[in-house]
Amino acid sequence: MHINWQLRQLNLKIVYYGPALSGKTTNIEKIHDSVDPRRRSDLVSLKTKEDRTLYFDFLQLELGKVCGLTPNIQLYTVPGQAYYEASRRVVLRGADGVVFVADSAYSRLRANMQSWQAMQTHLTSFGIEWANFPVVVQFNKRDVPTAVPTTTLSRLLHVNGHPCFEAVAMQGQGVLPTLKAITRSVVGRVQQELVR
Amino acid sequence: MAHDEQYRLRSGLTIVSEQSEQLEEMLAQLQQKIPANFILLVDVTGQVVTTKGDIGKHNLVMLGSLVAGDLAASQEIARLTGEYQDFQIVLREGQDSHIFIAEAGPYMAMLIQVNNDVPLGWARMVIRQSGEEIAQVLTMPAQEEPEWDLHAGEDDLSDLFEDALDDVWLE
Repeated sequence: MHINWQLRQLNLKIVYYGPALSGKTTNIEKIHDSVDPRRRSDLVSLKTKEDRTLYFDFLQLELGKVCGLTPNIQLYTVPGQAYYEASRRVVLRGADGVVFVADSAYSRLRANMQSWQAMQTHLTSFGIEWANFPVVVQFNKRDVPTAVPTTTLSRLLHVNGHPCFEAVAMQGQGVLPTLKAITRSVVGRVQQELVR
Repeated sequence: MAHDEQYRLRSGLTIVSEQSEQLEEMLAQLQQKIPANFILLVDVTGQVVTTKGDIGKHNLVMLGSLVAGDLAASQEIARLTGEYQDFQIVLREGQDSHIFIAEAGPYMAMLIQVNNDVPLGWARMVIRQSGEEIAQVLTMPAQEEPEWDLHAGEDDLSDLFEDALDDVWLE
């Protein structure tokens, strides 16, 4: 979180976190495709030769003025593959909010739980109070035949009151509501952080 | 919230105009002293704060995110190998020019491009010094009080952000 009064900018960092192939990059790509090109940056993607995220994807949105400040929202994804745990920690640092993109497929239950727990561990290691940190959960790939009921996913992940959204990110479904919800949570926290 | 309330952040970074002017001056001096072709100052999340020198065709937003990512990865490598120290500098040598990526305290990172005739040891020393000065400017209490009119009438601030998101969404 960063306010630059000279430029009258409010800068927020939101990270899309989750297990491999859950749809983090797809979310960012859909946002990139859906936002007015004059109000977003180009998409930065650091990928492997196999087209998997190596380090991060990055997209910046510049919203219209809100109360005299221009909000810049930086969206990052982490690499999902297990091998890149250290890189995930690096990208997560400085985040003002996290979208956890869970894969609804039955075969990915364990991967979701491991990723969720690792995310909590990283955030706690940065001194972040997990209970008060803005997190939104997206249950992606609701269209797969083996999709686990969202109530089961919520229970297994111990979502505990964090806002949850169903999505089929490949088709753009649920992408904007998720982005709106995390922005709402982060802005709520900005208001708490402001002091006279 | 009332119209005339004045705000700063409890955590994170708040840069007031006075600090901003000092940063501009410091970077201008750094550019002259090295001399550097181009300097980019970003916060640790990759947000561009300011530039000096020839921007050319650089995509500043993309560069900003990569500088922050590059420095964060170097810091993590240093932490994992037990050799972490503040104000670290990463050097990339090129044929015609060199790139330094330098930490400037807990909040900022710099990219500095210099010609290949600039002595690297000299550049490294001056950049490190500037990094320390920038960190000092951002950690000292500012005299000026920032103002943000948070009065949103009937609307909640979160609603205004949602509306702003709707405005940039094309579909």
